Amino acid sequence: MASVSFEHVRKDFGTATVVQDFDLHVADGELVVLVGGSGCGKSTILRMLAGLETVTSGTVRIGEREVTHLPPRKRDVAMVFQDYALYPHLAGRENISLGLRLRKVPKAEIARRVSWAAEILELQPFLDRRPKQMSGGQRQRIAMGRAVVREPAVFLFDEPLSNLDAHLRSQMRHEIARLQRRVGTTALYVTHDQVEAMTLADRLVVLEGGRIQQVGRPIDVYSSPANKFVAGFIGTPPMNFLDGRLEREPDGLVFVSDALRISLAAERCPDPAVASGEVVTLGVRPEDLALADAAGRGTIPGNLVLAEVLGATTHLHVEVGGRRLIAVVPSGPSPVPAAAVSLSIDRSRLHFFAADGSSLLLDGHDA
Amino acid sequence: MRRAVFYVVLALAAVVFLYPFLWMAATTFKSPAEVGGLSLLPDQPTLDNYRLMWARAPFGRALLNSMFVATTITFSVLVFGSAAAYALARLSFPGRGILNAVTVAVLLVPAQLTLIPTYTLIVQLGWVDSYAGLIAPFVFNATAILILRQFFMQVPRSLMDSARLDGMGELRILFTVFWPLAKAPLAMVGIFTFMGAWNEVLWPLLVVRDEQLMTLPQLLTVFSLGGGAGPRQLATKLAAAMVLVVPVVAAYTFLQRFFIESMASTGIKG
Repeated sequence: MASVSFEHVRKDFGTATVVQDFDLHVADGELVVLVGGSGCGKSTILRMLAGLETVTSGTVRIGEREVTHLPPRKRDVAMVFQDYALYPHLAGRENISLGLRLRKVPKAEIARRVSWAAEILELQPFLDRRPKQMSGGQRQRIAMGRAVVREPAVFLFDEPLSNLDAHLRSQMRHEIARLQRRVGTTALYVTHDQVEAMTLADRLVVLEGGRIQQVGRPIDVYSSPANKFVAGFIGTPPMNFLDGRLEREPDGLVFVSDALRISLAAERCPDPAVASGEVVTLGVRPEDLALADAAGRGTIPGNLVLAEVLGATTHLHVEVGGRRLIAVVPSGPSPVPAAAVSLSIDRSRLHFFAADGSSLLLDGHDA
Repeated sequence: MRRAVFYVVLALAAVVFLYPFLWMAATTFKSPAEVGGLSLLPDQPTLDNYRLMWARAPFGRALLNSMFVATTITFSVLVFGSAAAYALARLSFPGRGILNAVTVAVLLVPAQLTLIPTYTLIVQLGWVDSYAGLIAPFVFNATAILILRQFFMQVPRSLMDSARLDGMGELRILFTVFWPLAKAPLAMVGIFTFMGAWNEVLWPLLVVRDEQLMTLPQLLTVFSLGGGAGPRQLATKLAAAMVLVVPVVAAYTFLQRFFIESMASTGIKG
């Protein structure tokens, strides 16, 4: 086990820069999830740590050892891939033990580690099957077994659950979390799936355009996004955004847009240095909107476009001044589509973003 | 009904293709009196033609020579061809694009065009009348490289990554990960190469004069040219031709499954 450090790492492919000035320290035993959209550079970062991509500039360390230019086999990392990457011509047992055999680990030790991995991952029934005789979930467990028997300094997971169906994904997510806690190995995990990111991570790293947008505990990133990108990326359904301006009135700041006018709660007032009239974007989480009993001061009038009943909750799509807002409300009798509705806002949970996307909140975290 | 007509047509076509071969096989077991007939069943089957062939020229030695030469060429083409294909398909290095283009360009040059320069080179190297002279010009094959490269390009990158993380070097990845996956294209390249090397006549005629080094088709050609034209001679020549053709048919039968699989997967017509 070891810590991992990236220092000003940059990666260019030809003229395109896919990772820039990437600085991150992952503590020993920590599970850090890199999350971002397609092409944000998250897999490239993982591959640079594994030694599967060269580093254009900067330094990569595993523990105290600089590994920037070491080949993959000398880095002591193990990786689990999206498509499992099992050797098709080898049975599960050989797939798991091959890396150890190549490292000339004694046979008795190989047998001990394979049976240990088989026990903790419940691999026994398919150890002697070839990959094509296994289901997706079984293959992925073999791939994880292959990683754990190596007892590496660092685990790398590159979207390992993306090829699985929803049920298996949930099951494997729990297994990965359990496994990582049990072996306590430092891990970097790449995903674009928010549920995986939120549930697995000790810390989240949100990436966009090859740059870190925010690093923090999942709940902190969710409740106090550093900028509009993070606010829109983390959370399902995504945060609602409304463009408008801030006006200073005798009793405090007011957010004014075409569709609504909201007096801001004192604890969510943006930085007082913000000049009156500043153009801002208001962000509201769907769960911070609710159906109001009647139109009134502080409510948002709109028309219901769509109601998606998901079971315990319902997603209401409401058109407000030409913009569509999504509210997540407890399921129950809902208005029919096209009906006029009013939404109330939890004013203590508003977010504000400047024209450049940065958060305008005073304290930088949720009240 | 349409199905029945279809099968009749197919059966007729099969007879048209198979009859000459079956006639040749049957004739090798016929006595001189029967050789001219069209029957596929000898009245008095005999092995005299084979005994005579074996007695009149060193066909046993030629068979061994052919085996050695064709096997060595096939093995070399598979090893060097797959190594080149792996590099061209999966490694990044300066000049890879140019090398790919050159490999394709080599296919456009007819073998007859390079015959004299290659011969001159072999003479300069002192490899006339040697196994090296028979084998060296064929150990690389552009077609093999292109077929294998095409297959190797389809192997998922993650499999290579995984192998590298497991501690494999490039050669080990090629032979322990790519080769088992590439059984079908390797079999196809192997069969084509083996058949080409086994049937090669022109090149051995150029570089080998020593009868002890002659390959089977070469010896057969020499034997046919000087063996006379009577029924006995014809049957003996056909017996020699059978010895030439049987190993290839046997190899094809054994590897047929891979061969057809590979044809289907690569989309290359045979």
